[in-house]
Order: sequence, then C-alpha cells, then structure tokens
Amino acid sequence: MSGATRAREQGSPLTFDHVSVRYAGRPTLALDHVSVLAEPGKMTAVVGPNGSGKSTLVRTLLRRVALESGRVTVGDMDVAALDAREVARRIAIVPQREEPVLPLRVEEFVALGRHARRSAFGGMSAEDHAAVESAVARAGIADAIGRRTDTLSGGEWQRVRIARALAQAAPVLVLDEPTTFLDIAHEMAVFELLDGLAQQGQTVLLVSHQLNLVARFAAHIVLLHRGTVAAAGDAAAVMRGEILERVYEWPLVVTRDPAVGAPALLPLRGSGRHRERPSS
Amino acid sequence: MSPDLADHTTSPWLAWGIGALLLVLVIGLGLAIGAVPIATRDIVDALRGIGDPSTIAIVRDLRAPRVLLAALVGAGLASSGGALQGTLRNPLAEPYLLGVSGGAAVGAVTAMAFGVVQPALVTACAFAGAAIATVVVTAIARVVGGSADTKLLLMAGVVVGAFANAAILVALADAPPERLRGALFWMMGSAADATWPAVARCAAALLLLGGVLVWRARDLDVLSLGDEPAAALGVDVDRVSRQLFLVASWLAAATVASAGLIGFVGLVVPNIVRALGARQHRPMLLMSALYGAVLLVAADLLARTVRAPADLPLGAVTALVGVPFFLLRLRRLAA
Amino acid sequence: MALLPCIGAVACSRSDTGTADQRDTASVVAVADTDDFGAPLPTDARFALRVVSLNPAATEAIFTIGADSLLVGRSRWDEYPKAVSRIAALGDGIRPNIEAVLAARPTLVVLYATAENRAAANALARAGVRTIALRVDHIAQFHRLLAVLGRALGAEANARIVSDSVQSTLDRVRALTASRPRPRVVWPAWESPLLVIGGGSYIDELLTIAGAENVFHDTDAPSPPVSIEEIATRDPDHVITGASRGAKLSANPSWHAIRAVREKRFIVQDPSLTGRPSVVLGMAAVQLARALHPELRDSLVRDSLP
Repeated sequence: MSGATRAREQGSPLTFDHVSVRYAGRPTLALDHVSVLAEPGKMTAVVGPNGSGKSTLVRTLLRRVALESGRVTVGDMDVAALDAREVARRIAIVPQREEPVLPLRVEEFVALGRHARRSAFGGMSAEDHAAVESAVARAGIADAIGRRTDTLSGGEWQRVRIARALAQAAPVLVLDEPTTFLDIAHEMAVFELLDGLAQQGQTVLLVSHQLNLVARFAAHIVLLHRGTVAAAGDAAAVMRGEILERVYEWPLVVTRDPAVGAPALLPLRGSGRHRERPSS
Repeated sequence: MSPDLADHTTSPWLAWGIGALLLVLVIGLGLAIGAVPIATRDIVDALRGIGDPSTIAIVRDLRAPRVLLAALVGAGLASSGGALQGTLRNPLAEPYLLGVSGGAAVGAVTAMAFGVVQPALVTACAFAGAAIATVVVTAIARVVGGSADTKLLLMAGVVVGAFANAAILVALADAPPERLRGALFWMMGSAADATWPAVARCAAALLLLGGVLVWRARDLDVLSLGDEPAAALGVDVDRVSRQLFLVASWLAAATVASAGLIGFVGLVVPNIVRALGARQHRPMLLMSALYGAVLLVAADLLARTVRAPADLPLGAVTALVGVPFFLLRLRRLAA
Repeated sequence: MALLPCIGAVACSRSDTGTADQRDTASVVAVADTDDFGAPLPTDARFALRVVSLNPAATEAIFTIGADSLLVGRSRWDEYPKAVSRIAALGDGIRPNIEAVLAARPTLVVLYATAENRAAANALARAGVRTIALRVDHIAQFHRLLAVLGRALGAEANARIVSDSVQSTLDRVRALTASRPRPRVVWPAWESPLLVIGGGSYIDELLTIAGAENVFHDTDAPSPPVSIEEIATRDPDHVITGASRGAKLSANPSWHAIRAVREKRFIVQDPSLTGRPSVVLGMAAVQLARALHPELRDSLVRDSLP
C-alpha cells in the first residue's frame, strides 16, 4: 500500500509559463510574465519582498485570480482545463492563513484532505485511512489526535494543516509561508519534513520569507521583485548581496556560513537609509 | 450508520436517542393539550376517526396539522441555519440575515395590499418574495465583487433586508387598520392556520431542499474552512457557495411562507447540536432538523397555553426562549 | 305642457335624495345568495340549532330579532345588549380560537368578514360547521345583516319588523332635515394616527340623513387617515366629538389651525348610539339631527321612536 502511495507522489513538475495576473482596477500587473519551474525531487522556493507577487502565484493555483496571459501546467496538463477536484488531486496547497471557525477534531480535519477523492456519500476507504495515518505520522502530530482544532497552539495548527495537505496524496505540494508563528524547533522540523518529501520524489514549492532557511534547504530559488523574476537558480546564484539589496531595498551583507555551508543573509542597521516605498 | 457519525467520541446514540424521545414527547403533548381538554384515549380514538365529530375535527384538523407544521418548520429552520453557518463560516449566521425574511414579508404584505385573501396565495407570494430577494442578493454580490464572496453576500443581504423593511413600512403607512393588523400578525409567526395541504407543501420543501443540503454536506465541511482552504481541497468555492446559499435560503423561505417569521431557531439549534458532538455537517444537519422540530413544537405548545385563550406569536416565544439559551452559550464560549 | 318642467324640477330635486334612498332601503332589495366571503348563505333555518356569533353587530342583531335562545357562544368583545353576558364568551372575534369554538359544538358560526378571518372560515368549513361572514359598514348592510340572520335563524318576520322600524325613523329624519341648510362637519375618530369618518362609513350616511355634510364625504374608506392641514383646508363649520374630546382638542395648539376648533364649535354625540351599526341607528340619527338642527328639536322627540 505504501509503495502505491509513494508511486502516486512521484512528482509531476509544476510549471508557471509566462504567467501574468492583474488585479481588478489596478494599473500595474501583480505578476508580469513570470515563469517558474518546480521539478520533482527538489524543493523550489519563491522569495521576495512584500507585494512582489509571491502569494499571487499561489492564488493562481487556487483559481482565486484569473490569468491575463500565460499558463500553468502540472505534468503535462493545463490547470485551466481541470476542475477544482482534479486540481486538488494533483496539487496540494497549504494557504497562508486559516482560522478554525467551526472546530473539528484533528483527525476529522486531516481527513478533509481526502475530499477530492471521495464521493458525496460513502465512508472512508482503507486507502483514505492509510493516507490520513501516513500524513499524521509525517507531519508529527500524532499526539494532537483527539483534540479540537481550536485548542491547538500556533505550531500545532500549522503542522495539522500541513498534514491535511499531505493526506491529499498529491504529486505536487505547494505551501504559502508555512512557518509563520513557528519557533526554531518547529520551523526546522517543517523544513526537514519538506526536504524529506522532496527527497522522496515529490514536487515541493514553497513561498517563504525565511531567506536563510531557504538558502540551506531549497535546491532552486526564484526571487520575485514587483511581479517579475529578478533572479532564479540555486542559492549561490540568487543569494548575492547586490541583487538582494536592490530587491529588498535594505542594506545587507551576504556571508557564507561555515556551520551549514550555505549563504546567510545579514541585514544591517538602516538609520536613515530606509526609504518608504508604496507597495504595488 | 455511516462512518461520519462513528467519528464522535461523545456518544452520538445518546444525542439521537434523546432527541427522538423528546420529539415523540412534545408531539404527544401538542396533540393532548389545547383550549379544550380531551382525554388521552379520546385523542387516540379521534386520530383514528372514532368518536364525537367535534373532537375528531379538533384533533385531526386543528391540532395534528399544527403540531406537524411546527415540527417541519423547526426542522427546516434549524437545518437551513446550520447550512448557512457553514457556508458563511460564521456560527452566528441566521437564515434571516440574507434577505429571506424581508423578501417574504414584502411578498406577503404586497399580496395583502392588493387584496389577496386566500391564505394559500399569500403563502405563495411570500415564498416568491423571499426567493427573489435571495437571488437579488447573490446577483448584487456578483456584480459588485465579481464573486460570491461571503462578506459580499452578507453585506448584500443586509442591504436587501433594509430595503425590504422600508418597502414594508411604506406599504403599511396608509393601510387600513385591519390590513396593518393582519400584516403584523403574519410577520410575527404562527402555526395556528396550519392545514394539511400546508403541511404537505412544507414537507415537500424540507425533503427536497433539505435533501440537497444533506447531499452536499461534505462540501459544506470543506467550505466552512475558508475560501482558500476550500479551493485548495477541490471545491469550486464561488459556485458551491452560491448554490448552497440559495438552497438554504429557499428552505428558510418555505418555512417563512408557511408560518411567518420565527427567529432564533436557525441560530441556536445548530450551535447546540455542534456542542452535542455533531461537528460534521451531515450529522449536524440531520440532528439540527430533529432538535429544531422538538424546539418549535414545544414553543408552539407554550404559545398556545401560556396566555390561553390568546395565541402568542411563535416568533416571540422562540425569542424569549432563545435569548437566555444563547447568553448561556456565549458565557461558556468566553470561559 | 307647462307642468312637465315643474314635474321634472320636482323629480330632479328629489332624485339626489332618491339615490341615497336606494342605499338604505332594505325590504326592496333581495337578500343576495352569498356572504361577504363568497360562501353560499343558508336559505332556511336548518342550521339554526346551536349558533355561535363572533361578530358584535350580529350578536346584537340576534338579540334584537329575538333569536338569542339559539346562541351558545359569542366573542368576548360583544357588549350589546347587556344580556349578552349570559352567553359564553369563546375568545376573540378576529382570528378566533377554533378549538374553543368547536368545543361549543355549533351548527352555525357568524364571523366578522375581514381578511384575517379567512383562515378561520376555512377551518370551520373543514370541520363541517356552516359559517356566515358579514360586516356592516353601511346602513344597507345592516338591513342585509338583519335579513340574512332572520332567514338563517327562523326569525324572518321579526327581522323585517326591526328593519322597517329603523328605516322609517331614518326616513322621517331625512325628510325633516331635507330642506334645512346643511352645516359642514368633520368627525375625528382616532387621534394617532389621525383618522376621520369618511364616505365609506355608516356614520357618514347618518350625517347625511341628519342633514349635515361630512367634509370628507368624498373619500371611500370608512375611517381614512388625514392630516390636520387637510381638515383646516376643508374648513368644516363644526367638529363632532364625544363628550371629553372637545376639551382635549381645544387645548391642543396644533388643532387651532381649524377654525371650528378655535371658535369652539363642537357638537357632542353619544357613542353608545353612534358607535355601532345596530337597532339604535334610528335614535342615533335623531340625536345627530337634534344637535345639528336645534330648531327641529320639537319635531324630533325622542320617545316617539318604537
């Protein structure tokens, strides 16, 4: 059974091909001919300052915004040709924010990840149960089982949401800022988890603010700046002082951290050099 | 039983069992109690058509349809409220938030102002008014925001409701006193005019529209997580929200058309049922229907007996019962 | 030949009272076949065993025609005559408690014909009880009420006697006041909202009979809502009120826009005579005529009524 599950998760690449998005009534494009390729077997990270279009990219997958031009494909299927259920079977998305308004038990909550594969009636199949158990184990929330979602700490809530996405057993996993509110231990745990999934052949696309962790874990990084790709490549190619300073508009220094062998970003004290810019 | 129900750790059987027992009890009391004292054995005989013609008429043509209508209306309101709370992601949502009550009242009052007298026709106009109002609400939300965003739905509902209230007041401003009285009485809610055809219509609406809600209950589970999480899990949020909103509202409209405006049932019962452990929407909707029926049959009993021979408006009784219940619940939530 | 114009003139001068005559003459008018809800009326007294009357005008009429021994129930708002208190009160006349009514085992129920009572009529019909729904807004409808109840309760002769007696008093008053100048009057019926007696009420007919002109005679409703300005524009000569209201109106500054109020030209009437359409209609007309035309007091002696 686990072999079959793993086979399904063997990646499909997720491709954004010259995607342009304009929010209604705005003169400028939120995304301007952005191309991103997330390949199976590696963690791809999309980074950039606030308003650079990172979350918009995720919203195109949720079909909450329309594409002005370009297309998004998973495997070789155009996402626009798929209905919501078919997309959910191929792409599991953990959106940025979610509040537990109507509380459920954790196991019921995680089981909702199987929605796209279940019929209107009919119970949980053996496959559904196996997917939920596997997701719970991998997300490390076994001790939260039986508790209500409105009693979880910030970190537990985050990991429970990731577990739900894992239960979808989709070949592509997309996460929008999954480590907000997490402390060091939990944040590292999430990154390790995602890294592990990528190693197992899944396609993992991550939107994150955490440049340093991204630099350590992500095999491919895309830096967005005001809706366009400012840089793309591995950590060494993207994490360069002049590029990052320009994009983030803040003085910083990029060093090579010997402890972890990856570039590390050090923002400097601004004292007057910070200029306020309106976000687009 | 479907595995959904088996997920609860508080015994679901207890909640269902108590609900069923209570329903039988209040229906029995509803048949037994009234302006005229009738012995229990005579009631059973009367149901079978045996005995004094007046008694048979009282039991079979007055009390029985009234009690059944109250049960059906209570079930409809509670399940409609539960579905709306899930669709709008708000445990304080109520079937009347979104133009249903205003639209129904406009329909009924307009019919009365044009001299429509047959109660069945007034009912039909009330339903039409409510149905149109809810469609207008979804249309406004779509035109203004381009989607069936729940915040837009709520605001559009408030706007339509306010407009409807103004329209009613204008229509009643120079109405003759008896039309005013009649309109007010209709709006305050009553099961007193229940007839068997009205019971049949309400039952049909409950089965049909409530059935759709129960069928789509899984979608509700996912929708209630939020627009983005729901989209992520494979639900066409705009389309499904709009459909469920309309179906739930039309179910509420059918109850308003049958028995006038009765508040609190749609708000309170789903919250109680969720507290009893029915968290997922399929069991929650069904159990809400059960407990909604119990509540409203009991309220109708109170309405008939507390100030006999006067018939209190059902809407007033549910408010008087619902408010303290709700305050208790709020306290426990805040604790 | 010269006579013809004279006859024509006389005929014409009588014709405007003639049309008024048509409205309140009953014995000539055949009883229609349906009640105010469109249900068929009983053609004889076969249902007159146990009668419940939830209509104050009907209850009083039943006593007047001497059929009160058939009554087993009334509404709690029925006050006249005093003897009604011995009849069991079964609740309201509008949206009656059907159970309570059925418990009295009636064979015939008289309802007040308002839209709110449609459901009650249907419910009683389903329970196999015959209903008659009537309302009396005009004097002609009062005669009709008497005729219908007379026929349905086996008291047709009495009904005709009462009808004729009331009508003859009204005719006498009308004749006496016909040639007198007609003072213009307004009759406030309620204060908030401000309602006045309009052209659709039997009281308006009484005023016409008593030789007055209701400034709101041109409205259709029995008691339309109006504004004080409206009344002031129409400038009535007198304001007709009950005993206490005159003082209240004089004290209210907003009413001083009306000349009749400023000049304190109030005419007091007795609501126990004018407040309902019943057998006392004749006395009500006499009372109003005496107040409006003091010079006729001697001709309108109260105790000359039956």
